[in-house]
Amino acid sequence: MTAGGVVFMVLSWGLVLGLAIYSFSKVLRGK
Amino acid sequence: MPDRREHWGSKLGVILAVAGSAVGLGNFLRFPAKAVLNGGGAFLVPYFVAFLLLGIPLVWVEWTMGRLGGQHGHGTAPGMFDAIARRRAWKYIGTIGVLGPFIILIYYMYIESWTLGYTWFSFTGRLFTAGDQSSIKAFLQGYQGVAQNGFFSSVWTAYGFFLITFVVNFFFIYRGIQGGIEKLSRWGMPALVLIAILLAIRVLTLGTPDPARPDLSVGNALGFVWNPDFNALTQAKVWLEAAGQIFFTLSVGIGVILTYASYLKQNDDVALSGLTAASTNEFCEVILGGSIVIPAAFIFLGGIGAMEVVSGGIFNLGFVTMPMIFEKLPLGFLFCGLWFLLLFIAGITSSVSLILPAVTFLADEFGMTRKRATLILAAIAFAACQPVIFFLSHGFLDEMDFWAGTFFLVLFGTIEIILFGWVFGIDKAWRELEVGALIRVPGFYKYIIKYVTPIYLLTMLGVWGYQQFIPVILMENVAPADRPYIWGARGMILALWVMVGILVRVSWRRRAEREVAR
Repeated sequence: MTAGGVVFMVLSWGLVLGLAIYSFSKVLRGK
Repeated sequence: MPDRREHWGSKLGVILAVAGSAVGLGNFLRFPAKAVLNGGGAFLVPYFVAFLLLGIPLVWVEWTMGRLGGQHGHGTAPGMFDAIARRRAWKYIGTIGVLGPFIILIYYMYIESWTLGYTWFSFTGRLFTAGDQSSIKAFLQGYQGVAQNGFFSSVWTAYGFFLITFVVNFFFIYRGIQGGIEKLSRWGMPALVLIAILLAIRVLTLGTPDPARPDLSVGNALGFVWNPDFNALTQAKVWLEAAGQIFFTLSVGIGVILTYASYLKQNDDVALSGLTAASTNEFCEVILGGSIVIPAAFIFLGGIGAMEVVSGGIFNLGFVTMPMIFEKLPLGFLFCGLWFLLLFIAGITSSVSLILPAVTFLADEFGMTRKRATLILAAIAFAACQPVIFFLSHGFLDEMDFWAGTFFLVLFGTIEIILFGWVFGIDKAWRELEVGALIRVPGFYKYIIKYVTPIYLLTMLGVWGYQQFIPVILMENVAPADRPYIWGARGMILALWVMVGILVRVSWRRRAEREVAR
């Protein structure tokens, strides 16, 4: 894996995880 | 119209249901293949752009219009479009939102039944009697009835699994929104995520299984997926592929989200719910989907082998390559079974969503109970599934997938966004989106929904239409012997479309007569 690969994977995972955690936490809090 | 509309039991329930509808075979097979073929990590740039400018807008549009339609007693596009546009033609335009899901259903459910069959064959060890790639391929062809060999003497085993799948699907629909679909999703989605995480861990802990090939490591396998090729960003094809993948993966442009959302209550949030369902799909796609199939293929087949496999199509990847790889692992039959179980759960949560629009249409527009509508639709669907099963080798399934699974989606999505932003009016539509919203949708999305997304979609339609539509219409890649079957598939789609149109006309007439009689 190249440095670029690591960057893209970490960024992508981060964005997706961040979005999922953000939205689910709001949903569960709203209950 | 039924006295009282069903509703979802909880916000989490509808979110998991929509997420279930979206998460399918494509998350685990199509996405990673597309990424590899279109620039690796760099693919995520047009992918995220499409997510923000195409996917999320359409998600919000469908959730909003769906909820609104439900308040008017219409859970499908004909009634929704009619209520929103208040012009006669729109209820006929809306028929795509009833026809499309139904057409997809009848071939999707057959594919889904393969995953059930393969789950069984994996756990019972029958699949692993096929020792190498050509045998496993033969296994699939025997199963599908495309070839007669030592593995299967006919298509009737596949037919048996299809029957089971069919009954299970309609059973959940029969049980209704809360008792059927929501329950399935509340159990199915967590199970799906758990299994996928397990498989991802199994793949990512493979290390370097072949000491003679130290370059075939997990690190390099992930690199195969994620290493960016920035040249890809200059190619229009890549941007188009990314947009297409976002479209298919989020299940927009079909009509299922419209119908699911029609069972929301008036003040239920759509903004946060839509975003959460979409983010669940992305989690399954980018993180889990990217960590199972392609890395595994690389580790065991190397870069060239993996590239060959990726170019060979989704079915080969899922039903031939993956079993072959699992066969080499300790407890391989278990992981193989889990793989197909994963696909089956992903499939069934999607297929129930494909059934619902047609059932809802009959219930809403003809005043039938849901149970009666389910039984009627089951009969029609069963009949329609037969040619898909028996004419598989003649391209029947592929033709249906082109029209309903590709073309209708982009067309319908374009129609929806124009209806929402222009016909309904973006200001009114925006206020509707904000009703009950648990998050503030950024204001610039008004501009995106009205101008950017439509242009994006029209460009997609135009370019892709020019590149693919014409060759497919002219059957350029179809063997002459198969042409009658292609015409048969087109005839069936047309006949069903006309049928839906007639049903729309009849139901609207009856409603008008009831109004006059009052």
